[in-house]
Parts: sequence; C-alpha cells; structure tokens
Amino acid sequence: MDHLLVLPIVLPLVAGLATLIRREVGTRYKRSMSVGATALLVVVAALLVYMASDGTIRYYALGGWQPPFGIIMVLDRLSAMMVLLTSVLALFCCIYACAGQDEEGSNFHGLFQLQLMGINGAFMTGDLFNLFVFFEVLLIASYALLMHGGGKARTQSGLHYVALNLAGSSLFLIALGVLYGTLGTLNMADMASRIAGLGTDRTGLVKSAGLLLLTVFTLKSAMLPLYFWLPRAYAAAPAAVAALFAIMTKVGIYAIIRVFSLLFGDRSASLADMAAPWLWWGGLATLALAAIGCLSARDMRTLVSYLILVSVGTLLTAVSLPGNDSMAALLYYMIQTTLVTGGLFLLADIIDDQRGKAGARIVKSRPLRQSSLLGGLFLVGMAGVAGLPPFSGAIGKALILQSAEGSDRLWLWPILLIGGLCTIVAASRAGSTFFWRSHEGEPSGPLMGKRRGLATLALIGAAPLLSILAGPLTHYTQSTAQQLGNPSRYLDAILTPTPINQAMPTPAGEVSP
Amino acid sequence: MLTNAIAISALLFMLAIALNFYRLIIGPSIPDRLAALDTMYVNAIGAIILFGMWLNTTLYFEAALLIAMLGFISTVAVCKYLLRGDIIE
Amino acid sequence: MTLLLIVLLPLVGSLVPIASARSGRTTCAWLTAILPAIALGIAAWYTPAVFGGQLPQVSLDWVPALGLDIAFRLDGLSLLFVYLVLGIGLLIILYARYYLSEKDSMSRFYAYLMLFMTAMLGIVTADNLLLMWFFWELTSLSSFLLIGYWSHLSEARKGARMALTVTGAGGLCLLAGILLMGHVVGSYSLTTVLEHRELIQQSSLYQPILLLFLLGAFTKSAQFPFQFWLPHAMAAPTPVSAYLHSATMVKAGVFLLARMYPVLSGTDEWFYIVTLTGLATLLYGAFFALIKQDLKGVLAFSTISHLGLITLLFGFNSKLAAVAGVFHIINHATFKASLFMAAGIVDHECGTRDIRKLNGLWRYMPYTTVLAAVASASMAGVPLLNGFLSKEMFLAQSLEAQMLGGLSWMIPALATLGSVLSVAYSLRFIHDVFFNGEPRDLPKTPHEPPRYMRLPIEILILLCIMVGILPGIMVEPILRAATAAVVPGQAPEIHLALWHGFNLPLMMSAIALSAGVLVYLLRNHIYRFHRQFRAVNARQSFEFSVQRVVRSAQWGLDRFENGSLQRYMFLLLLSAVIVAAFGLMDVPSMAGLKSLQPLDPVVVTGAGILCLAGLGTVMLHRRRLLSLLFLSVVGMFVSLTFARFSAPDLALTQLAVEVVTIILLMLALFFLPQKTPKESSGRRVSRDILLSMIFGGVIASLNYAVLTRPLQSISTYFIENSVPGGGGHNIVNVILVDFRGFDTLGEITVLGIAGIAIYKLLNRLRLFMPSSDMEGRPWSPDRYPVILSSVSQTLLPLALLVSVFIFLRGHNLPGGGFIAGLVAAVVIILVYMSRGVEWTQRRMSFNYQPIAVTGVAIAALTGLGSWVFNKPFLTSSFGHFDIPLIGDIELATAMMFDLGVYLTVVGSTLMILANLGKVTTPHRPSKEKQ
Repeated sequence: MDHLLVLPIVLPLVAGLATLIRREVGTRYKRSMSVGATALLVVVAALLVYMASDGTIRYYALGGWQPPFGIIMVLDRLSAMMVLLTSVLALFCCIYACAGQDEEGSNFHGLFQLQLMGINGAFMTGDLFNLFVFFEVLLIASYALLMHGGGKARTQSGLHYVALNLAGSSLFLIALGVLYGTLGTLNMADMASRIAGLGTDRTGLVKSAGLLLLTVFTLKSAMLPLYFWLPRAYAAAPAAVAALFAIMTKVGIYAIIRVFSLLFGDRSASLADMAAPWLWWGGLATLALAAIGCLSARDMRTLVSYLILVSVGTLLTAVSLPGNDSMAALLYYMIQTTLVTGGLFLLADIIDDQRGKAGARIVKSRPLRQSSLLGGLFLVGMAGVAGLPPFSGAIGKALILQSAEGSDRLWLWPILLIGGLCTIVAASRAGSTFFWRSHEGEPSGPLMGKRRGLATLALIGAAPLLSILAGPLTHYTQSTAQQLGNPSRYLDAILTPTPINQAMPTPAGEVSP
Repeated sequence: MLTNAIAISALLFMLAIALNFYRLIIGPSIPDRLAALDTMYVNAIGAIILFGMWLNTTLYFEAALLIAMLGFISTVAVCKYLLRGDIIE
Repeated sequence: MTLLLIVLLPLVGSLVPIASARSGRTTCAWLTAILPAIALGIAAWYTPAVFGGQLPQVSLDWVPALGLDIAFRLDGLSLLFVYLVLGIGLLIILYARYYLSEKDSMSRFYAYLMLFMTAMLGIVTADNLLLMWFFWELTSLSSFLLIGYWSHLSEARKGARMALTVTGAGGLCLLAGILLMGHVVGSYSLTTVLEHRELIQQSSLYQPILLLFLLGAFTKSAQFPFQFWLPHAMAAPTPVSAYLHSATMVKAGVFLLARMYPVLSGTDEWFYIVTLTGLATLLYGAFFALIKQDLKGVLAFSTISHLGLITLLFGFNSKLAAVAGVFHIINHATFKASLFMAAGIVDHECGTRDIRKLNGLWRYMPYTTVLAAVASASMAGVPLLNGFLSKEMFLAQSLEAQMLGGLSWMIPALATLGSVLSVAYSLRFIHDVFFNGEPRDLPKTPHEPPRYMRLPIEILILLCIMVGILPGIMVEPILRAATAAVVPGQAPEIHLALWHGFNLPLMMSAIALSAGVLVYLLRNHIYRFHRQFRAVNARQSFEFSVQRVVRSAQWGLDRFENGSLQRYMFLLLLSAVIVAAFGLMDVPSMAGLKSLQPLDPVVVTGAGILCLAGLGTVMLHRRRLLSLLFLSVVGMFVSLTFARFSAPDLALTQLAVEVVTIILLMLALFFLPQKTPKESSGRRVSRDILLSMIFGGVIASLNYAVLTRPLQSISTYFIENSVPGGGGHNIVNVILVDFRGFDTLGEITVLGIAGIAIYKLLNRLRLFMPSSDMEGRPWSPDRYPVILSSVSQTLLPLALLVSVFIFLRGHNLPGGGFIAGLVAAVVIILVYMSRGVEWTQRRMSFNYQPIAVTGVAIAALTGLGSWVFNKPFLTSSFGHFDIPLIGDIELATAMMFDLGVYLTVVGSTLMILANLGKVTTPHRPSKEKQ
C-alpha cells in the first residue's frame, strides 16, 4: 500500500498545522518547518514522478472506500508532473519568503503550506466534488496569502479576487449538482464511463454542466473575459506569493485538461471536444489582450502579471488543438513558463527594493545596487518568457506552433508571434529603463542576499536549464499526452479492480460492493 | 381527526407567518419589523413541531429547539445593533 | 566532433573576459583572443577537406519532439563565413583593446562580443534550420547588448531597442517560415531540406515560406523598407559597428539568402521581390550615404547600399550572379571593416565624427589617411582592388537580367547609377575628411593612433590589395567551395581576373568612376536639393510610435479593466448563462419521466414567502438593515424547506449558519454606510435585471430537468453500507465523517484558514466608527443591558449541553460536529454580545486559533492513525463497548474525526466573530466615559 500517493496533501497539511497551532512560536522554527516540509515534498513528488513514469495509473482509496464510492487520489504522469512542478516552485518561493517577507504579517508559513495542500489535492484527486473542495482550500488560502502584509492595493484587488472566485465556486456547485443529478456519481472515471452510455435526453444536461465547469475552470485560469481578477491581484501580492500564484492559473488549465480529456473525450460521442471552440477563441483573445497588457504595463509586476496571461492564452489555445502533439507541447510550455514567470515576480521585488521610491515602476530612477546581476537575470527571464532562444520558452513556443495544423495556423501563428514581439518590446523598454537609464548618483538599497538570490536564480535559471533538458522533458510530456489521449486506460485502472488495488485492506466491517 | 386538526393548524400557522411577513414589509419602524421577524420564528417553531407530529417522529423537535434558541440570539443581535450599533464591544 | 568546437570555443570564450576582468586590460584582450584563435585554427584544419569537396558534419539529438538537433556542417559557404567571423572578430578584439577608454568595462564588452561571435558562427554552421534560428535570435539579443553598450547614452538605448525590435520581428517571421518549411519537407535538417527543391517550390506553401524567409533576411540585412534601424545602431562603440556591419549581423541576412538559394531561388516571385528590394536598397543607401554629415552615418548608409547590391545579385536567379554575390560579401567585409576602424580612429583621436568639422587630417595622421584612402577606393571599385572585381561582375550580371521585359535596360542603368553614387560618397569620405582645408574646432588635437590600433586595418588593406591583384590565388579556391554550396549541381565557370578585355562592364565602370567624381563636385547642389525635405529621424519616429502604442494600449486597457467589480461579475454571469443555455438547447424536453409531487397550501405559502423575501432582499439592498431582515427570512424558509422535504440535518445546519451569517453581517454593517446612494443608471439596472432573470430561468430549467429525471446513483451504496461499514445510522453524518471524510477534512481546513485569514485581515485594521444610528439618534448609553446579560448567562450552560447532545448523537440521528460546533460558537458569541469582550476574555482566556487548528489536527491525526494499522488514510473503525454505569455504547474513530470538526467550527467561528467584534473595543464611546 503506497501512502506516498496521499503525502502531497497530508505532508503540507501536517506541516501547516504544526506551524499554526501556536501563534507565538519562533520565526526559526516556522521557517525550518516550512522549508523542510517543502523540500521533503519535492522528494516525494520526484518519487511520484518516478513511479508514474512506468505508465501505470495508480490510485489511493481514502478510508479504504473503493471507487466509485469513495474518494480516490490518482497518480498518473500528469498529476505527478504537476505536483513536482508545484513543489519545486513552492520550495524557492518559500526560501525567498524566509528572507523576511514572511514576517510582514501573521501565519505566513502555515497558510503557505495549506495552499500547497490545496494545489496538490486539486492535482491528485480523482473525484469531482473533492476537486471542488481543494479549489476552496486553495482559494481561501491564496486569499489569505494575498492579504499578507496588508495595504490598500492588496485589500482592493483581493476583494475582486475573492468575490469573482466565490461566484465561480457557486457555478462549480451548480454544475456539480447537475452532473450528480444526471449521472449519479462523483468519481471522474465513473462519470466518464456513464457519460459514454448516456441517453439523448440527458446529453444536453451534461453538456450544460460541462460547459459551466468550463466557465469555472477558465475563470480560474484567467481567460478573457473572466481574467479580471488576475492582473491587479498578482501585481499587488507579496513577491513570494505572486510567484507561487504562477501555478494557480495552471490549476485551472490542469482541470480543463483532466476533466475534458477524461469526461468529454472521444468516448463521449456527441459531447467530444465540446470545449475546443470556446477555448480556441477565448485563448486567442486572451493572448491578444495580454500582449496589449504587456505593452501597457506601467510597472514590472503588472508586466509579469500580463506575461502570466500571455502564457494562459497560449496554453488555452493549445489545449483546444486536437492531437497528442499539442498536448505534449503545452505541457512542456507550462512547466517552463510557470517557473520562469514565478522567478520574474521575485526579481521584480528585488528590483523594487533596490530602486527606492521608484519601486518597480518603469521610470527613471537611481541606479541599482547589483545592476549587472539583476540585469542578466532580467534578460534571461524575459527572453525566456518572450520565447527567444536559446531559452526554454522558444522551444515551448516552437512546439506549440508546430502542433497547429492547416488553417489553425492562420490564427495561432500571427497572434502568438506578434504576442511574442509585444513582449520583447515591452521587456526591452522596461529593461533599458531599469538597468540603463538611471540618474547619476550612488546606488543604495539592500543587497538581495543569499536566500532571495538563490530563489530567484533557481527559478529564472529554469529558462536555460529546461532548454538543455528539453529532450528528456519533451519525452516525458509526450508519453503524458499519450496517456491522456487514451482515457480508457484510466477508466480500466480505476473501475476494474486489479490485484494491487485489491491487496489494499478493506476497512473494518466493510461489505465489498 | 388528528390529521384534520394538524392540517387546519398548519394552515393557520402559515397564515400567521404570512401576516408576520406582511408586517415585516410594511414596518413602519425597525422595531416593528424586528418584532414581526421574531414572531415569525415562533410561528416557524410551531409549524415544525406540527410537521413532526404529522410524520409521527421526534426528529424535528431538535430543529424546533434550535430555532427557538438561535432565533432568540439573532433577535438579540439585531436589538443590540439597534441600541448600540456595535454588537460586540 | 571537433566541428562542435568552432561554436563551443567562443561560447566558452564569453566567460573568459569575465573571469580575467581583474588581470589588466591587455591580458584580458589576449586571453579573450585565445579561444577564437583556436577555433580559427580548427577551421583552417578543415579547409583542405572542404576544398576537396567533403562535407564535415556532426549531429547530436537535442529535442527530437521538435526536430531540433545539435547539428553542424562545414560546407564552403560556412567555411567562408567562419573565416570572416573569426578573422575579423580577432582583429576587432585587438582594435577594441585600444579603442575602449578606461571608463568602459572591457570584460563586459568582450563577453558580449564573444557571445555575438558564437551566435554568428552558429548561424553559419548550423545544419538544422531550427538550430540556425536559435543562433539567429541570439545575434539579435547579443547585438542588443552590444549596441546598448554605452547605456548612459539615450541614442544607444533607443538604437539597441530599435534593432532588437526590427530584427526580433524578422526572426519571428523566419521561425514561422522554418516551421512551414519543416512541415513541407518533414525535417528541419538543412541537408534534407536542400535536397527537396522541387517539393518546396511545388508546395502550395511556397509563397508564404519564401515571404517569411525573405522578411527574416531583409530585416536582418537592413533592406528597404527595414533599413531604418541600421544607422541608429551606430550609437554603439565603433568596434561593434565595424564588426556588426561589415562581416556579421547584417551579413547574416544575405547569408540566409545564400543558404536558401538552392531551394528558394529560381522562381519569378524570388526574382521580383529580391531584385526590386535589392535595387531600392542599393539606391536608397547610396543617396543617403552621400548626404550624411556623420562619418559613421556615411558608412552605415553605404553598408545598406552594398547589402542592397548583394541582395540584388542573389535576386538575378543566375548562378554567376550568386557567385558575384558571395564574392562581394568577402570584399565588402574587408573594406568596410577597415573603413569603420579608420572612422573609429578619427573619432577616437579627434573627438568628433562630424564631417563638417573634420578636414585636412592627412597632416596629422598621414598613415591612417593612406589606409582609409585605399579602403575607400576599394569601396568605389577602383581597379587593382578587390571591390573593383566584384563590382565588375555585378555590372556584367546586371546586363544579363531580362525578367523585366522591355524595361530590362533599367537594371544596368540603375546599377551604374548606384556605382556612380558609390564612387561619389567614397570620394567624399576621403576628400572631406582627410583633405579639403583645415580642421575646424576639434575637441582634441588629432594624432596617429597607437601602433596596434592600426594593425587590424593594415592587415585588411593588405587583403584588399592582394585579392584585387591576385584574385585567382587569393580567393578562387574558397569562392569555388562556397559556390558549390550556394549553387549545387554543375558549378559555373568562375574566372576571376583583372582584365577581361574591353567590354560593356568595363565601360560602365569607367562611367561610374568619372561620373562619380562629377557628382562629388556637384554635391552642394544635391545637399540643397535635399534640404527642402523635412528630415525624418527614424529613431524619434520609432520611439514616438512605441510611445503611442503604449499609450493607446494603456488607454484601451484602462477602459476595459475599469476596476468595476460589477462589470467583471456581469461578464462572468453572462458567460455562464451563455454556455449553460448552449447546453440546454440540446435537451429535447424539459420534463423528464418522473411525475411531480402534489402541491399543498402550506408549501405554496412557504414558497411564496421565500420568493417575496428574496425579492425584498434585493429591492431593499440600499437600506442595508432592512435587507438583512429579509435575508434572515430567506434563510429561515430555506431551512424550513429542508425540514419539510426530509433533510433534518441540512435544516439544522442551515439554521445555525444563518444565525452566524446574520451576526457577521451585523458586525460588518456597523462600519458601513447605513444607506447606499443610488449608483446605477436606469439602463444598467434594467440590464442587470434582465441578466438575473435569464440566469434564474436557466438555472431553474436545469434544476427542473434534472429533478424530473429518474436517477441511478451511488447513494444506494451509502445507504446499504452506512451501518455495516460506517457504524452509524445517520447516513448524512457517516458520509461526512467516513465515506467522504476527506472532503470534510478539506472543508474544515477551509474554515480554519478562513478564521486565520480574517484574523490577518483585521490585525491592523483601523476603521471609522459612526457615532449615531441611521436616523441620526445617538447610541444608547447602556452597553450591557442587565436583563440580557442574566438571560444569556443562564442560557450558556443549557445551550452548551444542547451542543454536546447534538454532537454525541450525530452518528445515528440528525446532528454532528458541524452543527454542534456552530451552536456552541453562537452561544459564546451571545455572551460576548451581552457582556463585552473584556468581561468574556477575562473568563475565557484562551486563543481561538489553537482550538481551530487543533480541531483540524485531530481530524488529520485520526486519518493518520489508520497508517499504524496499515490501512489507507482516514480508514474508520468502530466497535461496541460495555462501560460500567453507562452500559453498551458504540464508539467509532469517526467520532474522533467529528470531534475535530466540532473544535474547528467552534474555534474558527469564534476567531472570526470575536476578532471582528474586537476591532472596535478600545475606542468606543461608553457610559463610563460620558
């Protein structure tokens, strides 16, 4: 029995509770607890990826209640990959926060761990209602983290963030109600198998609910016209939190991939691919808007927020493309863009710190203390997200462009490429102002220090590193895409008990179904 | 016999609730409305107990008990608000 | 594998100057030069093989999914460019050592330079188109750094950004072209692509491919109309200009033309686009080179003009023309690099580059004068110099072009015109700067540069002369090898000689030389003619248009994201309605097979009141307290509905939640304006009403359709297994704490976080407090009415008893941890209300956060406990125990879990309410103070 499958949720939960249980414990304790737990989480996630890479789909039945009745955690290549991505990003965010940001308000580390629990739970769960629960966990934890440190901008944007997302939660519940009311089950694999044999009088209802789910997920992933909560909230959030939030939009995208490849895949007959047109146009529109947003950004944090939107648009558009190639491409793109945009949020904070009153605004100010180092990081990070070689963004973008076929190219290519150009223009404008255009005078302001330096370097370093490792990585994402493209294996693994799963002892007094 | 009695009482309770609601709408002062709301809680308790009797179960008595208790507390909260604005000081 | 080193060594070399930054400027320069010198040696080592017709190649897998390999090749064309890039690069390193002043960071300069060199070498040796694109964009990035090297100068910054934008855009076009080509050919391997000329040219994608490749090449090579970035790249230090604009950056564009010549050329499209662009660029550049007053500006425009010439040659679709093009690439690189370096010396020693000030420098720097004069003569195409040879070939080829039909004569005519102008600006470069009177107010007194600063020019000039006199020995082998790569198949007859006899091209050369002198003499007329046009500064207009784009983006976005939650919410709901309605349209009939339950008057009245109360809440929303009263009616009726339709657990929960919500809103209401002003216009209100009606209609239809269809659900399993599997008769509770206990664990975590979040939010909050109620009456002075205090104190133990009772019986009868917790919390809040924070906290001196966290922890530990018994997380167990005095009792681990829920609910609710209540405590006006 592999308790490893539930550790990505239980580990941060326990670590979070241990730091929260007494409010007045020492900073050292909290920090070592948090960093230690996150580092351990990276190890766990790496083990999970190792386990998943043999192609077997495993599950863990909570409370011993077998699917489709109980809640299960499912480990396949995609969920393992997402958990690893989250934990790596989180580790460096956590280290960054330990440089002092965690003490600007109360309970940072506990909330941070619970946020991780929510994110990991959303990636691991095989139950649609449980997905809702974890969405709630990560929403409320992210709201609390967003408010960390206080201030008017955070409160204001936080209100929009939480109000829109709560409205989204209500829609999620409505959709869940309709789905349960028509299918009579909550386990995603079971839902998928029931949808495959659905009568015509119910398809419309399932479609309605499916599209409502799509609305919720696109709200979470910030697609136009539902992205409004994102730019200001991300720009206002404390750096370590904003960097972690780079994964949040990807939770939405993950949910779209998971639910729509599984529930509304090829087996679902008339419902197959129903999300594609919405995602295609929505994604393209988001991409275009985000490019405009990049140009309009008045400060670096907003710029990076719109860069997140650029990646969201790209990913959503790629999700709607048919075939495994585009899926493999977008998964690779997702890994690298998440890490690099996270790193850029951290960098924005350091730049802000060293520029005094001007902060991260794109205006002339005093010179930076560590101009060449930060400039180098800025260049690498921005080139990485803009899709300039030799960094990972270029490979990701080229993969996505390549996977578009026929007339799809006519829309995707120009918008994606011009979006890239807008990013270049915006980034070169910001960069030349930050690093080249400064007042005379001695640089002052704090040095970035070891922790912050390590975190930023590691995340932005993903741009060259993931480019070098693109071969094995794309190999992994390709097999992930194949696994996703063949949902019947998932259904078999979960709905037909295999010897491994049966070996799991049943709880006391349980009558096997 | 009892069935009829319950049916008639239920109708009367609903009538009472409807009248409470009417009073809640027209007011005119806030205390008027508050009194209407409180009475409505009382009538709801009656309706629930009646429902329990009709189903011949005691399951609903706790619900009644809770409405009685919680209804009281929420009325207190509104009263406190009217008096002091700040209900916890 | 050695081939890899040609690219790798300079890449490693970009770290050398950084590592040796402290070891002195000369050492730094020497150390930097070592690795490229070795790379040059390797290239030389390969030379015999390449001349012998071999094709050294190396290929390693990188990203098979993309078709991107680390593949390099060294054919003749690559070899030629490797020589140019490394050879001139080494000279530039030497030159820059003396050019850069003490203030400039040498290591940074060399690092950028080496990076750029790597990128160039990568472009010319890549055997994979995507890999080539990688290096292509890397030249854009590294040239951005080089052009912006003097970052304190505004024009350097803007020039760098402009170059990056234009060449970056071109690079993206190139990427699209490469991807399309890969799609057509099925591989990005250059070797494969070059074998599929027919396939590509017959493909329906040929035209887009051609256009995209040409856009890439033209932006890089500064062809008309993309030429504007190049003159502004002159803000870079002169060694950079000498390198970028002679042998490298701009040559990458013409390299691409040469590289793709075997597969893309030979069509009408190729001829028209490439020829006309080249011609336009040739003349445009030549004209402006004659007019510019800045020394480097003259060279910049002459570069544009010569690049146009090379492009024109490639456009002719003739093999010999392509050979001439390659030949001119070599010649232009040598004389233009030396000219830039000479200009750099003048600038360095005189402190200005303004031609109007620079005159008669030959007296001060005779040696430099001679070098510059020879280079200029080569540029002008004077016999015995290399420029003459390729220009002759160019003129000869222009006579051959017949594609323009009756207008074909224009090509040689315009070509000659270009040559005339070229002679004129070359003459001007020499005569105006080095002769023509005395210098006027120079910032420095000019003198000869250091010996080693001149050495690179001397080497290049020597090459110019030797190629010019002995072309057969000097360049023919490499030209042959390069030609073999550009025009595969039967190699054209290359016959390089100084003397071809009296023919038309020679005549044209003679005309060019003499007319050029004439034009130079009449230059003042041209200046006067030019002066009537308003000068357009490309940098300013670029900057202006970027600013305008940015400002309009800001304008548009500020209006779109106007910060109005109403708008955002409207869009969210609208999207939801649209998609939900989209699905509903596929439902054949609203009503399913299930029949409806009969209506009775009680239900009808209840439903009516529920609807009216809902409406009332909305309509009275501007009078908040009233709205709140209606809201509690809604809550009450929802829980009555639950009770009526057999869901006592839900009814109880709803009731408890209702009261907590009301208290919470009351607490918040105190800080809010009692009445909100009317903010929405009539139009918006009607829009919103319409939307909510549609939304309600859609949700109601969904509900109706779902509820009227019979359902086969997993709930039967829960009903069957509740007692045998979960040990409880209350199925709802067993689902909550056992079947789906993991959900509950998540939800109590949410509750716990909510408490902590609100604590966080209120931590530093200071709010304005009104001193009177909404009708302007002052607050009652009685803080804690006696009756209330005594009643609530009496109620406390009873209510706690109820709470414990509801908790304990929860597993079998309606109740459970959640409801019980809420009841306990509400009662404690009652004490807070009636006695105040201070009084209560003196008697209950504990923090609520640990309680809430402990609750979650107990639930989590209950789950973890099952690991000890080697069971999955949250596995429950139960048994019957006989306890003295009490008798037989059933205990389940689920009760522990439920206790966790109970504590979390109590802790979090109190954390929220009590903290919100505490916000005001220290500041209130009270009886004591009055």
